Amino acid sequence: MSRRLSEGLVQEDGRVRCRACGHDLAQAGTPWKAAARLVERPMKGAGGKAYSAGAAVRLRQFCCPNCGALLDTETALAGDPFLDDVVGA
Amino acid sequence: MDPITFSIIRHRLFRVVEEAVITLKHVSGSAITNEGHDLMVSLYRADGSLLMGGVGFLHHLTSAAEACKAVIRRFSGRIEEGDVYLLNDPYTAALHTSDIYLIAPIHHEGRLVAWSACFVHVYDIGAMNPGGFSPESPDIYTEGFSSPGIRLVERGVLRQDVFDTLLNMVRSPEMVALDLRSMIACNNVAKDRMLALIHKYGVATVDEACAELIGQSERLLRKRLGELPDGTWRSRQFMDVKGEVHRVELAMTKAGDSLVFDFTGSSPQSRHAINCTQWASLGGLFAPLFPLLCYDITWNEGVIKPITMIAPEGTVVNCRRPAPVSVATVGAIQSVNNAACATIGKMLSASELYADEATAVWHANHFAIFMFGRNQRGGQSIGILTETFAGAGGARSFADGIDVGGEIPNPISRMANVETMEAAFPIRYLFRRRMIDSGGPGRHRGGAGCELAITPHDAPDGGLHYVVSGKGAEFPMSDGLNGGYPGAPNSYIWVHQDEAGGDNRDARFAKALDELPGRKEPVTWGVFPLMGKDALYVRWNGGGGYGDPLEREPARVAADVHANLVSAEAAQAVYGVVLQADGRVDEGATAERRKTLRRGRLLTEAAE
Amino acid sequence: MGERARYIVASDVGGTCTDTVVFAAGEPIHLGKALSTPPHFADGVLDSLDVAARAMGLACTALLVETALFVHGSTVVDNAILTRSGARTGLLTTEGFEDTLLITRGAYGRWSGLSEDRIKHPVKTDRATPLVDPAAIKGVAERVDYKGAVLRELEETSAEEAIRFLIEERGVEALAVSLLWSFYNPVHERKLRALIERVAPGVYVTLSSEVAPVPGEYERSSTTVINAYAGAISRDYLQSLESKLGAAGYRGPVMVMQGYGGLLPAREAANLAVGMIESGPAAGVIGARYLGRLMRDADIIACDMGGTTFKVGVIQGGAFGYAREPLVDRYHYAAPKIEVVSIGAGGGSIVALDPETKVPRVGPQSAGASPGPVCYGRGGTEPTLTDVMTLIGYMDADHFLDGSIKLDLSAARRVFDEKIARPLGRSVEAAAFGIYRIAAAQITDLIHEITVERGLDPRDFVLHSFGGTCALLSATFGRELNVRKVIVPYTASVHCAFGLVSADIVHEYTHAAVLPVPSPPEAVNDLFAPMVERALGTLHREGFAGDRLSLDWSIDLRYSRQVHEVTTTVRAETPLDASGLVRLVDDFEALYERKYGAGSAYREAGIEMTLFRLTARGLMARPTIEPASLNSPDSSGARIGRRAVYSEAKDAMAPADIYDFTRLVPGNLVAGPAVIHTPITTIVVPDAQTARMDALRNIVIELG
Ligand SMILES: [Zn+2]
Repeated sequence: MSRRLSEGLVQEDGRVRCRACGHDLAQAGTPWKAAARLVERPMKGAGGKAYSAGAAVRLRQFCCPNCGALLDTETALAGDPFLDDVVGA
Repeated sequence: MDPITFSIIRHRLFRVVEEAVITLKHVSGSAITNEGHDLMVSLYRADGSLLMGGVGFLHHLTSAAEACKAVIRRFSGRIEEGDVYLLNDPYTAALHTSDIYLIAPIHHEGRLVAWSACFVHVYDIGAMNPGGFSPESPDIYTEGFSSPGIRLVERGVLRQDVFDTLLNMVRSPEMVALDLRSMIACNNVAKDRMLALIHKYGVATVDEACAELIGQSERLLRKRLGELPDGTWRSRQFMDVKGEVHRVELAMTKAGDSLVFDFTGSSPQSRHAINCTQWASLGGLFAPLFPLLCYDITWNEGVIKPITMIAPEGTVVNCRRPAPVSVATVGAIQSVNNAACATIGKMLSASELYADEATAVWHANHFAIFMFGRNQRGGQSIGILTETFAGAGGARSFADGIDVGGEIPNPISRMANVETMEAAFPIRYLFRRRMIDSGGPGRHRGGAGCELAITPHDAPDGGLHYVVSGKGAEFPMSDGLNGGYPGAPNSYIWVHQDEAGGDNRDARFAKALDELPGRKEPVTWGVFPLMGKDALYVRWNGGGGYGDPLEREPARVAADVHANLVSAEAAQAVYGVVLQADGRVDEGATAERRKTLRRGRLLTEAAE
Repeated sequence: MGERARYIVASDVGGTCTDTVVFAAGEPIHLGKALSTPPHFADGVLDSLDVAARAMGLACTALLVETALFVHGSTVVDNAILTRSGARTGLLTTEGFEDTLLITRGAYGRWSGLSEDRIKHPVKTDRATPLVDPAAIKGVAERVDYKGAVLRELEETSAEEAIRFLIEERGVEALAVSLLWSFYNPVHERKLRALIERVAPGVYVTLSSEVAPVPGEYERSSTTVINAYAGAISRDYLQSLESKLGAAGYRGPVMVMQGYGGLLPAREAANLAVGMIESGPAAGVIGARYLGRLMRDADIIACDMGGTTFKVGVIQGGAFGYAREPLVDRYHYAAPKIEVVSIGAGGGSIVALDPETKVPRVGPQSAGASPGPVCYGRGGTEPTLTDVMTLIGYMDADHFLDGSIKLDLSAARRVFDEKIARPLGRSVEAAAFGIYRIAAAQITDLIHEITVERGLDPRDFVLHSFGGTCALLSATFGRELNVRKVIVPYTASVHCAFGLVSADIVHEYTHAAVLPVPSPPEAVNDLFAPMVERALGTLHREGFAGDRLSLDWSIDLRYSRQVHEVTTTVRAETPLDASGLVRLVDDFEALYERKYGAGSAYREAGIEMTLFRLTARGLMARPTIEPASLNSPDSSGARIGRRAVYSEAKDAMAPADIYDFTRLVPGNLVAGPAVIHTPITTIVVPDAQTARMDALRNIVIELG
């Protein structure tokens, strides 16, 4: 039985998995971002010219380490903890 | 309760609010009330609990309930038929001083049976800066008059001494008088219609229907919460003011049929007026909650019961007196709106049943620019750039965000025509259009914001001045959802064309910021001139995107490029879509490009 | 037309049916009904003429030869917009503002025209797809300022390139031209038209300065686009109608109803597609006003309820208001249009219980004409208001629409019992009457809100009840509104057509300019003079002179710092002198306070005049309706039986007298509870109320 956790994540067999490829990211009911690939880049220019953000502002992209699907984004400054979303197991 | 009678009373209660809103708009006649719909009218039960919230600026529904309760506490035993109370102290219940509540008890045969309350953003409140938003104020004492509760009308008779005292403290007292009169009239209509309802059905029946209405809303929301998965979802908002960064941190936890919003970790209160008080934060989280979770549920006390807020004292979301709060509605409150929208969006998205209700954040950053000065007819004009109400929609699970589509906390706003603005102020617009690359990229793109530029025109004093309290030029605030990017941030640029030398004849009709000569100085906070050849360029945020931009249908990206909503560069860099010279999608190159971008993600180190 | 020409023929094209009515002095009204024939609506008009002629024992040609005047209302433009079947349209606008139409003043275009329920659910809202392909919008280099001064001359070379691009690359068949401030100075729009006519002579062109010369570039552009989009369709339609009528023997003028309640000669109407929008409901209001004149009622709430929609128009002191922000489908336009508010409530409105709370609801979903109510037996499976009316005995299962449809009462009962009555724990009749009360209460609330919006008190009004469903409810909601009386007009069945023949030729002219108060009267007169000259020229050409024409001046005024503008009629001699202007301002102030409430005016800010309107009328001859002499109150001759209907007083089904409208004679009284069946509707006379037939054969229920 697979259960929706977000657009890109499902819970299956007690695990948080990438919906696209089934990659195992974390135990169900726990944060998963630590197991994701983090692509971090300056927010300035990230989406085009209109992104006139400050130099220190980062766009974090959390991706499936197996298939590269983009699972979540965050706006952050260096050192900010992840926004760890947890859906109850 | 007889369901037929209940159905009729419910419908009528809603109409009571509607008719009161009409009255408010009619009597006031101000642009901010009529165009921006910056108003609210609601009905409350005898104990001050919310009975029927109207469509307006929704963060006021709960605050006005608290205002009713504050009046009940202060005037206990002395509340008389025909009284009207004024309350605008943010540390008691209000959001900021310029959003004045007028609260009126409704008596039936001598017994208090209900309250009506309304607000408008008054023309001026006597703060340091005109118009209500007062970025230069260091504390609440300089944000104009504020009352924790005062009787303005006593047994149906206006207390002229109180009225005159209030008007003595504001700029343009006649306009403020009109605002106050409109609110008195609005409460009168609400009272008359409410009493007619009671007369027809009897006080006991109406009371029973009201109690049932609240019980029903609570049952419905609890049932919905029960259908949603348990979990904790987080969001973070940044507000930058003059180089100082403030955060609103939110962890929203849903367990069973209740919901907790915990703002622990938010920044200490600021010396700048972006702070908000605890009642304002509560209103701020309910503003998106009503339309996002209760779109088919009556907005009343029943919806409030399953919700708990934790907001540590001394932070930007629960500041201590005398911290300044005049910018709260477009400062910390709006950040609370955004954070709540983001976490609710994530929660809905975690549910198979409700995923199509999820949305990325809409128009996260009002820019609230108030212009003031002598106009082309020699009179004084003070007024808001109503473009701040134009907004941008967040992307949804099933569709793009709506370009320039408004905002969630104020569902029926709109902006004025260019011709209206040029007639009212000594300014000329150079352009006003959707901003390229402003909508947050995603499988569904966030709605675009806009850019505009204005310059003085026929101004007897050579121009005018404006107040800007524009945090958020450093950080995008309209968060994306499920991998969507945030919408682009706001930008405010003072173009010093007079420093460019030459006559710059071509620049008189510049079509873009690049075509304007002269030094370009970003401005965000304070009072600035728009004089001589100055131009003010304003860009407002797009909505957040939804999903992975590499999954967006290439044809849609091409269409966006064609419509000037996405640049060819962003199409390639962000969406991985390569276009041919004729503008059509180069399928092969696109597939290749997307593969490369995806591979690039995998080459990055693991997050920790 | 020959001397024998004695008929006035009115033909009204609706979404489903086309009605033709033939009036002649001293003769009964003849009616012809035929199905509408989209998109070739002219065929349906001829069909309905044929039906009417046959009813008179004439050939269609014989009828038309004897017809002096043909008046016409049509939904052809509404239909073109609703079905998106207009021309491929391009838009030329001021450079830098190409997005104006697409942005719709922000969220305005997203929520306009939505019900409150949908507004509260913003995630599921969207804009209507624009009538112009965004890729067919081009900016042109030019600029005029707020006082009409040219700041930048039109660059004709690049403008010509833009035109060529739209025609050659985008394939547009129609062009809308809408520039900033063009209503003050149309010079660039006119130059663009000349360019278009040179570059692409066949393309249909609309200028904003001609179709909507009012401030507000978004609404003006939207109007211009609508007109360009539907322009060729309305032009071709009216041309084909004229030629078909001509071929059938008609030699008189064809007059076309406008949304503002006046007629235009077909040739003029052909170039003003936007004018025909919602002209049917406008004709309804005009008809109500005329009937009001005959009955000496100047304050009327005109209600029309059919299968899907409930429409309300308000007439006050014999005058009606214009809609402030009219919409067609979900597109804004700025053209004078009689205000008619509609909600989705009709006989086909579906009755449902909220799945969670079991609270009953009427509408907004509708079963429409197909499958329709359960009792129609055409496959409808959801109970509707019509089913409810049948269950409580108000509608007669055997004599619906003159017996043309036999209603399936047992199916209605079975479905209603299962879906509504049993879940509510009530008998079918008690539950059905509860639903009836809810519907009446919702309509009461709507009308109340509309009158509050205008600063009016319903207790001063009479209520006209039109349409197939309205009279079933109108005595009930009329009583709750406390109106003076409810009138079900004799002409209810041909209501819109009746409005057509009671209308005048009306040309509306406007000039936007801001003049302070006080201004010298000459400044105002100078603005009106060219409009007066144009109006007189036009009316003279149409054959109106002397006391058969009237020119009415009105001016929109506002307090300088407030947004509400009030159209104020000039009641003094024109051209104005100083005292006339003073009187105008006094009238404005009184109107403002009445509409917006005591203390709503901020006089200290000063007063401005913003829009100057000339209404030029060519007065038409009306069919005369002779009052009959009153007979005795005894209505027993029309009593056709007794059956059980729901009685509120007894809270149960109880026997009531049933009457045949066609057998009632003027002077008859009908005591409630009673039901009067007419060929097209059913009139419910509740307990303790009395209906009478007046000298004009209207049914009148006095309440006040
Ligand atoms: Zn994967």
